[in-house]
Amino acid sequence: MIGFYHVYKQYIKDSYAIYDINLSIESGEFYFLTGASGAGKTTLLKLIYKEELPTKGQILIDSVNINLIPRKKLYRLRRKIGIVFQDFKLLNNRTVYENIAIPLVVRGYRKSYIDKMVKNSLSLVGLNHRKNYITSHISGGEQQRVAIARAIAGNPKIIIADEPTGNLDTELSIEILKIFEKINNNGVTVLIATHDNNLIKMFTKKTIELKQGNLVSYPSMEEQQWIY
Amino acid sequence: MDLLKKSLINAINNILRNKLINFLCLGIISFTLLTLGIFNYISYNLEIFTQNFSKNVEAIFYLKNDVKEKEIKAQISKIKESLLIDEIIYKSRDEAETNFLAQFPELRYILSEFDKSPFPSSIEIKFKQKESNLTTKIISFIEDIEKSDIIESKQVNIDWAKKVLYIKKFISITGIFLSGILFFVSIFIIYNVIKLNILYRKEEIDILQFVGATDWYIKFPFIIEGALMGLLGGLIAGFLLIISIKLIPSYSDFISNMLKEIISFKKIPLKILIRLLFFGTIIGLISSLFSLKKFFKN
Repeated sequence: MIGFYHVYKQYIKDSYAIYDINLSIESGEFYFLTGASGAGKTTLLKLIYKEELPTKGQILIDSVNINLIPRKKLYRLRRKIGIVFQDFKLLNNRTVYENIAIPLVVRGYRKSYIDKMVKNSLSLVGLNHRKNYITSHISGGEQQRVAIARAIAGNPKIIIADEPTGNLDTELSIEILKIFEKINNNGVTVLIATHDNNLIKMFTKKTIELKQGNLVSYPSMEEQQWIY
Repeated sequence: MDLLKKSLINAINNILRNKLINFLCLGIISFTLLTLGIFNYISYNLEIFTQNFSKNVEAIFYLKNDVKEKEIKAQISKIKESLLIDEIIYKSRDEAETNFLAQFPELRYILSEFDKSPFPSSIEIKFKQKESNLTTKIISFIEDIEKSDIIESKQVNIDWAKKVLYIKKFISITGIFLSGILFFVSIFIIYNVIKLNILYRKEEIDILQFVGATDWYIKFPFIIEGALMGLLGGLIAGFLLIISIKLIPSYSDFISNMLKEIISFKKIPLKILIRLLFFGTIIGLISSLFSLKKFFKN
């Protein structure tokens, strides 16, 4: 599903944000991506949805080498991936419904289908009662749930979340991760970047650890079997 | 259709949201198009004036004294070939003398001193009135006939129209030149306004890109916005042109009667108004496309 083959990313000379990363995430898996601030977590995620281009190496998403996707066709890759940001990236002057509907509207779906899909996403994150609220009028935890609902509304194959609990307290963070678990149970591949080790311990999932751009921990097959 | 509707609503909202900058922008487009409209209107009136003038055009070609009858017939046949000609009359020297005596019988004593008629023979031409762009064609036709070896001189009441045509040409060129400069100024200004609007909505554009919107989906509302701004500029310019044309004659004493004869100050032809809307939309479209191209390139 997601494959990195000798991937490097360099922003400035003589310093690598990502250094020779090799990893493979199969379809339907749940991974935590961890490491200290500046370890390269966000860069690695950005490489997946082609917000950044690798300096060297190949990245395969759903068997497609994304280096070869031209700018004009980038939307095809983005439609396979649901992205959740730490700062939510919601349109604050629009309603919860309108925000969640965006990925469906841009695909040109009919109103009835959009209504159905938004309703499903809202149910999954437990926000049906906030449907018509302006997003700036709801709490941070609810905003993050709206962001998750938006990410899953378009039926993506992969969900990527960059520090989705970074701005939330522990209780809300657990709630949010449980939502990701539910999404994963529906067969969606989930990759969550977090530096919160307590959360990682609480949810026994496979973990990729980065340190200064290097892959320091990546579960071997035996370890993966032990987890399950 | 849905995208067009949404884009239109978006564009109107954007124009209303950044009122000051967009209205300033609209003012500049309107000024550009108004300048274009004024020059177009003056040029159009001068054209009409010269066309009306040509309705009464008559040309008389006086022939040399030693011209043979065969040469005269050949010249008349050549003139008759032209589609511009309504009527052609040849007057021999004797006929010219007879006409003179009919008009001025008291001057008979002067002619009695000549053995032969002192008047030259002539070819008089009357031109058709329904030809389009008649004046220019007539001028060119007369200049062609004048080159003939049998023609001594000509008498044509079209010289004034010829001068008006030169003025019209000058005004047209000045208008195109001025409008051209303003055209580029407008493009530059709308380009920057659209750029500001794009930057203002950068977060929204980023979100749309992250959720898989196509470039076209993102660009379309901005293109509509540019075109709408240009179209509105054209409408305002057209409105201002109509108001100016209606008000100027009532309030300006300095406009001489002659100018009033040339410029009707009444009706603005539809083609000028359509031209303003067309150029306005083109200005808006070009500007927004440039802006978007640069944004997406970066």
